[in-house]
Amino acid sequence: MRAEARAPSNGGMTTEQLPDPADRVVTVRNLTKSYDRRVVVDHLDLDVQAGEVLGLIGANGAGKTTTVEMVQGLRRQDSGTVRVLGLDPHRDADRIRQQVGSQLQSSGLPDRLRVSEAVTLFSGPHATDGDRLLEQFGLAHRRRFPFAGMSGGERQRLFLVLALLNRPRLVILDELTQGLDPAARREVWSAVSQLRDAGTTVLLVTHELDEAEALCDRVVAMRDGRVLDEGTPAELVTRHAGEVTARFSLPPLDVIATADTLQQLNRLPGVRGVTHGRDGVALRGGREIIAQVGAWLVSTGRPIPADLRVDVPDLETALLTLLNKPDHTDIGVAS
Amino acid sequence: MTTATTPAAEVTATPRRRHRSTTRRLLTTELRLLTRDPLTLTFVLVFPIVTMLIIGGSFGTEPDEAFPVNPSHWYVASYLTVVIGATGLIMLPVHIASYGERGVLRRFAASGFPRWSFALAQLSIGLTAIAVAGVLLLAVAAPVYGIPDVESPLRVAAGILVGSVAFVSIGVLLGTLLPSARAAQAIGLLLFFPSFLLGVGGPPPEVMSEPLREVADKLPLALANQAVREPWLGLGDANGSLVAVTAIAVVATALAARRTAL
Repeated sequence: MRAEARAPSNGGMTTEQLPDPADRVVTVRNLTKSYDRRVVVDHLDLDVQAGEVLGLIGANGAGKTTTVEMVQGLRRQDSGTVRVLGLDPHRDADRIRQQVGSQLQSSGLPDRLRVSEAVTLFSGPHATDGDRLLEQFGLAHRRRFPFAGMSGGERQRLFLVLALLNRPRLVILDELTQGLDPAARREVWSAVSQLRDAGTTVLLVTHELDEAEALCDRVVAMRDGRVLDEGTPAELVTRHAGEVTARFSLPPLDVIATADTLQQLNRLPGVRGVTHGRDGVALRGGREIIAQVGAWLVSTGRPIPADLRVDVPDLETALLTLLNKPDHTDIGVAS
Repeated sequence: MTTATTPAAEVTATPRRRHRSTTRRLLTTELRLLTRDPLTLTFVLVFPIVTMLIIGGSFGTEPDEAFPVNPSHWYVASYLTVVIGATGLIMLPVHIASYGERGVLRRFAASGFPRWSFALAQLSIGLTAIAVAGVLLLAVAAPVYGIPDVESPLRVAAGILVGSVAFVSIGVLLGTLLPSARAAQAIGLLLFFPSFLLGVGGPPPEVMSEPLREVADKLPLALANQAVREPWLGLGDANGSLVAVTAIAVVATALAARRTAL
């Protein structure tokens, strides 16, 4: 993993010397973009490997959409280098856009365009069977429907179909589930999972942290146009989500027995802290304390406390912690 | 699911043919959508015919002080320009502004549509709409008022062509500049109706006050109308108007092409 918010890290290489291994679909180095005087992308480095689902996450205004627009060649960077499939998105826009399928934030289709007509319109010379894609994404029965008559979930699935029509090597999905109800979100997640299972490289832009956790192999967290951290969801949870917490009530005991019990709990492998209050006892530690606490409770021979609760940190917790850190320059990132 | 990758070499094997094919698909789709647009059908096809039937019959058929020729023929010749104005000032701005508002243009750009495909498609559908609406207008006028003899066919053809290109380009330009379909509709109507009433299909210039006539004569739609009507009815060459409309067409086309490049 690369260090966050780092200084230009292409090691003095010129843009033409950037390495571009075959398994790297997108390579971004030292990318910078400002609007007026506001820096929205700030010396950003990013790699998307072939076959992975990479999540670009961050709050609104983090620079995610501007970054992918520069990757697509829709916006020109102030400085830095972008390579998509080894090509320059501006110089080789024509070639790149044939190989990249996009679902753009805030983009639509003409209201009166029917689903089947959209498929025909966006099918290039090497397009796959559009009818099969419509069937696969549950839109075959909507072929004659105008775009305006479709639900939010159906529209997003249609965008996915259009993004996949021309057998893209990279699919960019920007805020795919924005504004969708939970059921529609699940539908779209399922569609993205199908892409992942098929080995398609996906760059997913989202500020929905549960979405990133559900879909992404790797996540890049952005704030103020810079990379805060990146890694697999599990790595980010380990680094930023803090600890597992197990809480339960102790049976009424005298002071000495209580102190003894707390000492026993404190000695359990993985436990980093024990607190005791009116609400019961709380143990903090690594994931192993789940098993340790369970085993200890069984070993006491007493009934398992009815109020036993285990809080396991997830990616959402990790990223919220990360994104809300007041100063991100001291975040330790493995290399 | 199969989302097999496609080698770059295969994808780029025939770029020129691919461009033609993409542009053709876009044009076909746009023409189809045009026929489903009630605003287009109303303003470009129906409005000129209805108003021509009303105004064309309001002043009789005999020339008088206000009209140097049969008034009905005066208006039949004039209303071809109403079609041009309705297409350029209302239909296209609303259509294109709605695309910008909904992100359709971004989608076209991101999907690898050739750079000039959208501009070409809009020019084509604008000219097609004018041609279809113009033919319909004359088909309705023929049995009611008769179609006046064309005194100078080449000049009339040049006037129609240059006027059409000028206003289609103005329409495309407005569509890319205005932020929403509603704004385009408001501005379009604001530009169209004064031009229509003062310069083309309203009262004859002779009944207007001098200052109003001065203004009316210099409106772009009035210049286009003069370039068509004068040589059609044998009232003059209208060379000055034709040159002015040509200049408008060149500037507007250049700006519109630049604004619509994907």
